[in-house]
Amino acid sequence: MKKLTIFLAFLLFVGFTVQAQMQISGTVSGAEDGQPIPGVSVVVKDNTTIGTTTDIDGKYSLTVPSSAQALIFSFVGMKSQEVLINGRSVIDIKIEAEFLEMDEVVVTALGIKREKREVTYQTQKVTDTELNRMAPTKAGAAMAGKVAGLQINVQDNGVNPSTQIILRGLRSISFDNQALIVIDGSVATTSAFDNLNPNDIANISVLKGATAAALYGSRAGNGVLIVNTKTGEAGQKFIVGINSAYTMEQVAYMPKMQTEYGTGWEGAYDNVENTNWGPRFDGTLRQIGPTMPDDYPLETQMVPYAPVKDNLLNFFETGDTWNNTIYLSSSNETSKFYASFGDQRADGIVPDDEYRRNTVRINASKKVGKVEIGVTSSYFNDYQNVVGNSIGDQDRPLYWFLLNTSANIPLSTYKDWSNPLSYGYADNYYNAYYQNPYWAIGTNRNIDNSNRLIGNLNLSWDIYEWLNFTGRMGLNNIWGDGRNWRAEQNYNADLQPSHSHVSSFVEETEYSRGTYTGDAYLTGNFSFLDNFTLKAILGGTIYSTDFRSSFMRADNLSIPGFYDVSNGTGTPTIQVDEEKNRNFGFFGDFTLGFKNFVFLNFSGRNDWTSTLSEGNNSYFYPAVGLSFVATDAIEMLKNNDILSFAKITLSNSTVYNDLPAYRTNEVYSKHGSFPYGTINGFFLQTGAVDPDITKERLNTTEVGLNLGFLQSRLSLDFSYFKTMINDLIVATTPSIASGATSYLTNIGELESNGIEVSLSGNVINYRDFKWDLNFNYTHNSTIVNEIYEGLDEIAVGTQGEIPIGVYAVVGEEYPQMKSNIYERDPQGRIVIDPATGWPKELEAQALMGRTTPPHIYGLSTTLSYKGFSVSTTFDYRTGHVYYEQGSQQMEFTGRSLASVSANRQDFVIPNSVIDNGTEYVENTNIQVQNGRQSYWTNVYNNVGENYVKDATALKWRELSVSYDIPKKYIQKVSLNKVTIGFIGRNLMTWLPEENCFADPEFNNTNSNAIGVGGYFQSPPTKSYGFNINIEF
Amino acid sequence: MKNFLKYTTLLLVVLLMASCEDFLDVNEDPNNPVSVTPELVLPVAQSYTANVMYTDRYINCLGNMMMYNWSQSDGYSWYYDEFNYAVNASFYSRIFTYSYQNTLKQYNILDNLDPKYDYYKAISKIMKAYHFQLLVDLYGDIPYSEALKRGELATPKYDDANMIYANLMTELTTAIELIKDAENPEAVKNDIMFAGVMTDWIKFANTVKMRMIVRVSDMSTPPFTIATEIATINAEGSGFITADVAVNPGYLQEEGKQNPMWQSFGEEVSGTQTMSGKATCATDYVLDYLAGTNDPRIDKIYEEPKDGHLGVPQGLLDYDTPIYDAFIPDKVSNIGPGILKGFDMDAIIFTLAESKFNLAEAAEKSLISDDPKTLYEQGVTASFETLGLTSANAAAYLTAGLTTNLIGYDASSNPIEAIITQKWIAVNGLTAEQSWFDYSRTGFPAGLDNSLLAPAGVDRPVRLFYPTSEYSANGANVPTQPDAFTAKIFWAN
Repeated sequence: MKKLTIFLAFLLFVGFTVQAQMQISGTVSGAEDGQPIPGVSVVVKDNTTIGTTTDIDGKYSLTVPSSAQALIFSFVGMKSQEVLINGRSVIDIKIEAEFLEMDEVVVTALGIKREKREVTYQTQKVTDTELNRMAPTKAGAAMAGKVAGLQINVQDNGVNPSTQIILRGLRSISFDNQALIVIDGSVATTSAFDNLNPNDIANISVLKGATAAALYGSRAGNGVLIVNTKTGEAGQKFIVGINSAYTMEQVAYMPKMQTEYGTGWEGAYDNVENTNWGPRFDGTLRQIGPTMPDDYPLETQMVPYAPVKDNLLNFFETGDTWNNTIYLSSSNETSKFYASFGDQRADGIVPDDEYRRNTVRINASKKVGKVEIGVTSSYFNDYQNVVGNSIGDQDRPLYWFLLNTSANIPLSTYKDWSNPLSYGYADNYYNAYYQNPYWAIGTNRNIDNSNRLIGNLNLSWDIYEWLNFTGRMGLNNIWGDGRNWRAEQNYNADLQPSHSHVSSFVEETEYSRGTYTGDAYLTGNFSFLDNFTLKAILGGTIYSTDFRSSFMRADNLSIPGFYDVSNGTGTPTIQVDEEKNRNFGFFGDFTLGFKNFVFLNFSGRNDWTSTLSEGNNSYFYPAVGLSFVATDAIEMLKNNDILSFAKITLSNSTVYNDLPAYRTNEVYSKHGSFPYGTINGFFLQTGAVDPDITKERLNTTEVGLNLGFLQSRLSLDFSYFKTMINDLIVATTPSIASGATSYLTNIGELESNGIEVSLSGNVINYRDFKWDLNFNYTHNSTIVNEIYEGLDEIAVGTQGEIPIGVYAVVGEEYPQMKSNIYERDPQGRIVIDPATGWPKELEAQALMGRTTPPHIYGLSTTLSYKGFSVSTTFDYRTGHVYYEQGSQQMEFTGRSLASVSANRQDFVIPNSVIDNGTEYVENTNIQVQNGRQSYWTNVYNNVGENYVKDATALKWRELSVSYDIPKKYIQKVSLNKVTIGFIGRNLMTWLPEENCFADPEFNNTNSNAIGVGGYFQSPPTKSYGFNINIEF
Repeated sequence: MKNFLKYTTLLLVVLLMASCEDFLDVNEDPNNPVSVTPELVLPVAQSYTANVMYTDRYINCLGNMMMYNWSQSDGYSWYYDEFNYAVNASFYSRIFTYSYQNTLKQYNILDNLDPKYDYYKAISKIMKAYHFQLLVDLYGDIPYSEALKRGELATPKYDDANMIYANLMTELTTAIELIKDAENPEAVKNDIMFAGVMTDWIKFANTVKMRMIVRVSDMSTPPFTIATEIATINAEGSGFITADVAVNPGYLQEEGKQNPMWQSFGEEVSGTQTMSGKATCATDYVLDYLAGTNDPRIDKIYEEPKDGHLGVPQGLLDYDTPIYDAFIPDKVSNIGPGILKGFDMDAIIFTLAESKFNLAEAAEKSLISDDPKTLYEQGVTASFETLGLTSANAAAYLTAGLTTNLIGYDASSNPIEAIITQKWIAVNGLTAEQSWFDYSRTGFPAGLDNSLLAPAGVDRPVRLFYPTSEYSANGANVPTQPDAFTAKIFWAN
């Protein structure tokens, strides 16, 4: 809090001056059609902090100091106009269209703004309007489908989902492939981005690829998202606004599962089974659950042996999210100010899951002479209370207990789990192997609090008109704590002879991370020899992060319901971890321009890192680029109405990925079972390390083309890149017999290629009717060229249950799914074992396809008419596969669709053959043995091939319908702006027929082992609601 | 431009001051040490030995499954692959994995120490020999001479099983010499097998040697000269173990600290029976055999339910015909109190009974001069005592069975069959893999049932397959998978 106080004190220092004023109003219309133009910026000349924008009817009204001489009217795509005031109180003007791209400003590394023409690589910007149209709770999710080259994965759909942000596919086998996040100039993290209130974001610039990011050194390899928060717009008067949104979330679809057979085993009915190998449903009344003794207060439960419609779906509730932000914003000639307070409250689809979040932001800046000092600061706090995820004696997630509930179970009758007279009570519950999901919610909780304080202090000193010094200090501190507990459950041995006791535990975690960054650089602009310009940046940067966490766990608690580590029996588990990471670097960047149509850029940065040994820890990152604006350079292309802008770029850069801390040595760790009394024990970690390990090297060559058509109403951006990655830092998998499970070293080569196409434009702009369209397409491919001699694949992540996993394989796309498959004859028919009728499996695993989409299409469009506006976004990903883990698990329980595909009897596998030693002969009569059950539970479900599914998905991600209430109605109640809207997210998902289980975007981990998911996440959801934005 | 340079220089100076070497010198891991003393390494290695033997679905469990000792109760789908004899690259591959990546890796650290740690070094060699022999007996050719080199050699070659046996014998001799010849050695601390008593280690080394000698005793050209090795043992003079060899760090009734077999098949820390404990029970065959020979060990090896002993045939699919719920855990004979004694029981990695039976076999084959019958009866007695019965109980059993084939030594038509059959009972539930090896070698005990799900036309598997990971990570060296039913380990051919 002390830090907050300092920031608040600073704000008081930022004063506001008052002087004599006058009122000017008028209408701005187009010179061609005479239609009013909304959104035109009107500012006072020489004092651009005073200004406004025209409303929906093209009208504006502005209070200006009496000293003001002229107004400047500007609008994207229009020529800006300067109009002398001359004492007038009404000024109506007409403005003309102009080439849009000419002066478009883009944000580049370090937050430095450059004209688009100067930039030698590809960037794309997402504005606050695009982000907040959907009233998202996290900005990342709102970017899906909007930026070429960007893949946003929402990992799950809990109350506080995490996002994975990947630019241009995967490049590294072992380490992070997520884009670097820079918030208000300081290097941050994906979670810091997730913690931002999206309402506070002014814009996000996506710097694609390593070249654009080269000035960020070792963190540049995955591209950068430069996020700027709102600072109070120039020329804005004092605004107080409220943004409120309510959305409700519902399960979009459940896995498709069979509803023909119920509880049982090997064809016989069983009243306590979680498996569904019973007889076919017949509607008769049957006993379910334990046989209650005569003197027991409950009768034995009887239910019809028939499917209960939506019994699992109805377990989930409608989630509610309330998201409110109050903001105020103001500025004058020398000061800018923005403050907001956000409050989000959400109930999840899982009963009792809740999440609360508060955000506070205060940004301010003050200009004193040639120096501008700015502060951006935010405080974030959240609280999450969700069901635990190691439920029951098998430590399973909640969804597992639902999936193990048969179709004939009236699940909703078990809600009253704590009442001993209810069938939901542990002793009375029907299932002898898995617990009641309602019980799970009440007896397993995971509660977390986290806090983040971000503060950035910026100083910008215009030493001369051509020379600026910028200094920046940033702090980003996160701290939090969590408690995860499970209650004990004992069972009445007569009623529940098979149930295993559930032990209790409590886990306490605390953590903190402090990150400090500092940058200082000079930027100079020079022009010489008439036609030449030089823009130079020289500077240095420093980065330091300290992490500390502690974990305590106590088991088998003595007092029920008292969740404190002191309550455990036996020795509690205690673990404390620390990590420190430091680096610093110097950089220079020079852009030489000729006649404002050719630009040559050189940049370099040298980094020193703490994570490598001395003498081995200095790295130089060079980049070179060229930009050529053909429409200005070539006479015949100039002033062309059709092709109004054409720019070609070419660049090359080399960057290195750093190693995380403490990876250069092999270490011992204390064994979890020790100590026993005075005997302690340490073991050598199974990972071996190459003592000469270095950074991995990425060299990227990129070609870009930016075209503007029809006075830049339509623009086409295209880029092609090729990245060679060498000296990959890889945990190779040596033979287990080497005594190590992994060997961390630098090996191999990856080659990554991709193209990005983005087509955007204003398709219709006629009178009040406007239609904007943005289409983007991304293709990328990463091939493993080499690992090292004798080793042609590396496991990135493997699954325990069956032979399946994600690999890097020489000559193949990375990441690659591999699994065991059936043995097939040359015609592709399955070879069976004539003794059993069972298909033969090949011992070696086969390539099944890549797990990241080679093709991503995004489409977003906005239609507006007067105050109405409809926006929507679609996203289509295809060409990849995923492992449908849930279906595999449901094979054993007999709940899968496959398990009923042969009517639960022995059958001849269609299109199968027998190898008689000389040839393959069609199998017409040999049936699979045990087709009633064990073929499915022990043979079919061991073949990974059956569960690797097409991960194609077409998602209707967003729809918003909004209406700006005309000012004439709201001004009467002293309001400036009222926008109301309907919003919908993930409204529809179209999946291939074969994918019947889950959303392929879900993942078990945030790591590179993308493509495995299914039962750890609850089912996919859709949400819809309303939002309202009011400004006073 | 002049100013520009001036400010740049100033900036560089400021930053350089901030970035001295100390700033970057933070890469020493504060959480994990880079080196530790041997007494912190040894007990972990020994606990790994206990784990690889006794954890659910490791070596002992495999032996019990292959030897038709254990089966499965109603309500569990635990042992389907075992009942199918589904030996494939994932079947029990954890034995291979755990042995190299944990057990052998950890012992190997001690083999590379200074001479003052010669005792630790000797222990390392003895325990490596113990584990490598198990691996050879399960897999045949394995990585040995090039194994355990970690980052230095990612793809160790596979050595000939025969050669490994010969080398292990030499290593055991070297280990004994190291102990005897050590100059001012550091005493061994935290030894959770023999409490640092080095003569016990020598006896154990001799006992492992005898296990190897007996294993190859039917070969026409064994990997080493048996007579020479026996002469070496005799010349050394310390003899063999006199009690069960066990690992016990002082197991506690706490999460992760219980005896591994108890943790797997006994009770959870809270005192309730584990799932595997409920799922695992005796076969009908083993109970019939013990009951039929009036063997009092029946109630120790298997728990007697209130309605009397009941076993389940391996591979039964329909548990409910003709009697519904006949085989639920409460009604079948789960693993008994002579095997599951408590959370703090010893993890016996070499039974005295087995040592006696090995010596008896050697004596019967005239490899050593002792009386085979005496050793045999000592073996039976040791088995009774290990299970919690008395020597008097053993004497009574032997007396009653004096004229019974396979109990009375002199009454047995084939003394080797009697030794091996009694060893089968003695290691039932405790290092049962040894009787699986014996079965491959001798075909005893005769008449053992097969699983109902066993493939037609075969007896039982004689080895394991190499794990899948070897085909991806060490493909150039790993041999093609031999036939699991016919390609016997070299000593059984």
